[in-house]
Amino acid sequence: MKNEGKKAVWSEYQKEIADDKFFYVRSCIRQNFFPGSEVAFLRILKEVLGKDVYEHPCHTTCSGIGYHGDIVPFETAMTVVARQFALMTEAGYENYVPSCITSFGLYTEILDTWHHFPEVEKKIRKNLKEATGREFEAPKNLAHASDVIFKFRKEIAAKAKYKLINKNTGEPLRVVDHIGCHYAKMFPSKGVGGAEYPYVLAGMIEEWGGQVIDYPERRHCCGFGFRQYLVQANRGFSVACSKEKFESMQPFKPDMIITNCPGCPMFLDRWQYVINEIEGKQYGQNGEGIPVFTYEEVAGLVLGFDPWDLGLQMHQTDCEPVLDKIGIEYSPEDKYKLNSLNHSQPKHLVVNV
Amino acid sequence: MGKHVVVIGAGVAGMEAAGRLSRNGLEVTLLEKESVAGGHINDWFRLFPDRRDSNEVREYLINLSSDPKIQLKTGASVDKLTRHGSSYLLTTDAGENINADAVVVATGFSLFRSSRKEEYGYGIYENVISSADLEKLFISGEIVISSGKAPQRIGIVHCVGSRDEKVGNLYCSKLCCVTAVKQAIEIKEHLPDSEVFCFYMDMRMGGALYEELYREAQEKWGVNFIRGKVSEASETIDGKIVVKVEDTLAGRPLKMDIDMLVLMAGMEMSEGGSKLAATSGLKTGENRFFASADHHFGSNISNLEGVFFAGTCIAPMNVTETISHARAAVTEVMEYFSNNNR
Amino acid sequence: MDNLFDKLMEDIRFEEGLNACMNCGVCTAICPAAEFYSYDPRKIVDIVQSRNNELIEDLLKSEQIWYCGECMSCKTRCPRGNAPGLIIMALRGLSQDLGYFTESEKGRQQLAIKRTIGESILNTGYCVYIDGISPEFHPEQGPTWEWVHENRVDLIERLGGNYKGDGPGILRKIPQETLDELKKIFEVTGGLERYEKIESYSKKKAAEMNLDFDEGIDNEYFSHIYKTNNGSHTR
Repeated sequence: MKNEGKKAVWSEYQKEIADDKFFYVRSCIRQNFFPGSEVAFLRILKEVLGKDVYEHPCHTTCSGIGYHGDIVPFETAMTVVARQFALMTEAGYENYVPSCITSFGLYTEILDTWHHFPEVEKKIRKNLKEATGREFEAPKNLAHASDVIFKFRKEIAAKAKYKLINKNTGEPLRVVDHIGCHYAKMFPSKGVGGAEYPYVLAGMIEEWGGQVIDYPERRHCCGFGFRQYLVQANRGFSVACSKEKFESMQPFKPDMIITNCPGCPMFLDRWQYVINEIEGKQYGQNGEGIPVFTYEEVAGLVLGFDPWDLGLQMHQTDCEPVLDKIGIEYSPEDKYKLNSLNHSQPKHLVVNV
Repeated sequence: MGKHVVVIGAGVAGMEAAGRLSRNGLEVTLLEKESVAGGHINDWFRLFPDRRDSNEVREYLINLSSDPKIQLKTGASVDKLTRHGSSYLLTTDAGENINADAVVVATGFSLFRSSRKEEYGYGIYENVISSADLEKLFISGEIVISSGKAPQRIGIVHCVGSRDEKVGNLYCSKLCCVTAVKQAIEIKEHLPDSEVFCFYMDMRMGGALYEELYREAQEKWGVNFIRGKVSEASETIDGKIVVKVEDTLAGRPLKMDIDMLVLMAGMEMSEGGSKLAATSGLKTGENRFFASADHHFGSNISNLEGVFFAGTCIAPMNVTETISHARAAVTEVMEYFSNNNR
Repeated sequence: MDNLFDKLMEDIRFEEGLNACMNCGVCTAICPAAEFYSYDPRKIVDIVQSRNNELIEDLLKSEQIWYCGECMSCKTRCPRGNAPGLIIMALRGLSQDLGYFTESEKGRQQLAIKRTIGESILNTGYCVYIDGISPEFHPEQGPTWEWVHENRVDLIERLGGNYKGDGPGILRKIPQETLDELKKIFEVTGGLERYEKIESYSKKKAAEMNLDFDEGIDNEYFSHIYKTNNGSHTR
């Protein structure tokens, strides 16, 4: 593997990412499965970097999962998205930052469609006006939340408490980056580093001390496939995709996986558990599994946030091996602590104790 | 006659044109941006379809263009080409001004930069090489991969940078199929125990003796031909290349581990040609090659009177076609002068 | 009978997604679904570009068009600038418009997606909301999720969310006026019509199959389409 070759590819995809004044739009999946990540994103931007980020209480799903589940027509999805743009316009913002990759892909697709078919944009404006009375300006800058963290990766590194380095060996952690399919596969020029060797997460990993692991199935979908997971009968497809990735990355002995898509970290986390349940096969080193993180979780850890404030207790595959390798201070007994009244723990732990 | 012609580019077309012009009594300046004449043929080991030593063709061209009437200037490229009355003034990158009564553009082609097909990992994965790199290995006499060992399984990817909207090249480069067949045979000659797989979209064996060579590759050498465009290549931990391709005739997606992947780089308008087009007003087509005045009966004629095209600066051609095209350019130059003298 | 190719052409994604295909197979080679299912996106594109009405009708009624995961890996690679994934989306749209989707096991699943994701969008403003991600329907989520789900109120508060609260924040309650706007958008743009078509064709199919059909997810037909896999889909 020749890294300079990748650097040459990366350099061909320079993406413009706004510097401040962000209109932030949440992800349905992440609010359910990775709430700590969205909290961390806002905390990093506002408290660590001092940026202006606005969240409108009336924004909704972009309907992207419905769109890619094929129950929501394109025209409907475009108009829902137009309403989100209208909220941004009304709030006086121009830099749109979605937390979700499906959303990011949908926004990109819609803006591209409007660019090529101006009559479609006209129709959507008419639809929105008729349905809600609202009007909108298209975003001046559209960047995924991971693009924004990428942009500030050096500032984060400068304030970092920890590095992605194994404190016992001094070696960089071996990190697999998994990019959501809709980040750049549809529109390579809209992703940092393009579609084939995206640099958005690799840049963070490098900056924060880790080593990026390339492996044959790096580009393969995690297996969400919308209907392929949403309907129980199809989930064999979903787990087979993740398994293919694990098998392919296993020889490279990754310490961790980092992702930028809402569903991927959940699937890559949960399917390890399922494969272990079904086949008794545990990936990772020493039977520990391969911990899977969102980029905000990793940024938060590097900055010294408490792992349990980041929501790492919600992962099925335990994150502690990575915390221990880095030497992050944490309190094991606080992991499942909720409040003074609720002392519950996941059942499997109760059984195992 | 005392006329002076400048030929831009001393590859196959330029050397042939210069030689033929001097034989017709003209003074010729032959400009070559590289330090030696010969062009791409210098980098090739053997030529299709008969696999003759490329040196034989090179020697022919050198003999032809070694004439007192021909002044070869190497390390010189043209920065500007402007018309002055009935002649042209050429300014080289060294600042030298040369007057010409006619100009033959023989700026040739560039091989497609394989790293632009990012998904094949050229320049990233150790054992992904280009067709030109393989010729170098043939010249060195040793075909080895990064581990120093001989490859057991070799994949050859057709149409790299050709027939591909993604890289902006809609056209067929025409010669890559037969190059693939030639190289597959040569690999088998060097490494009889190896397995060779050619991944093609269509086998375009349109030249004399090409189809016969294809058949020989199958019958005599057991080269495998799989109809499908390679979707991506990636690298395993032990340096093997994983290729994803559909065997479209069987309707089956394949994932194959191979030791070495060879990319059949297509032909593109040369950088020198593009630069010349930008500064001279010479027209180019949608495929970025120079645009001839007429596709059928004016392929040597440009939109500038007294400037003529020879060879692959207008479209992909093989050596035979290039030589014929250069001779035709000379005929056009001679006719141009005789008309102007009348 | 309608010309199905012309109907597909009305879908802008189809217009974007289909230029002349040369059957190179680059899409199938990279397709995660083609690796798992008996599925070949190249062949789908080839059938569609044949403009053969009968073959396209068969396609709209087939299992084939429901295997794609819409990852769009095909779009990255096609040397002719096609997007088989977008063509699939147009085919799925038309299959639902014409009621052909109930002819296949995988197609019938559209009702399940409509009743879960589709209704969640209009009722909560989220594609999915934690209350509905029950461990019972999602055993693959594992024991940690059981704990998360059971303790969601305290956990989301602990992490700084705003579970069913007013104002901005994680899992906040989407105001009723906003939900009304969403519904109105669905009404104006054909979203509700799509929902209704999925419902009415599914109801008809349930009767044909002799399965109880009712609202919600607790009925025979829903359970059948959500869980049935006849095992003949994979390679």
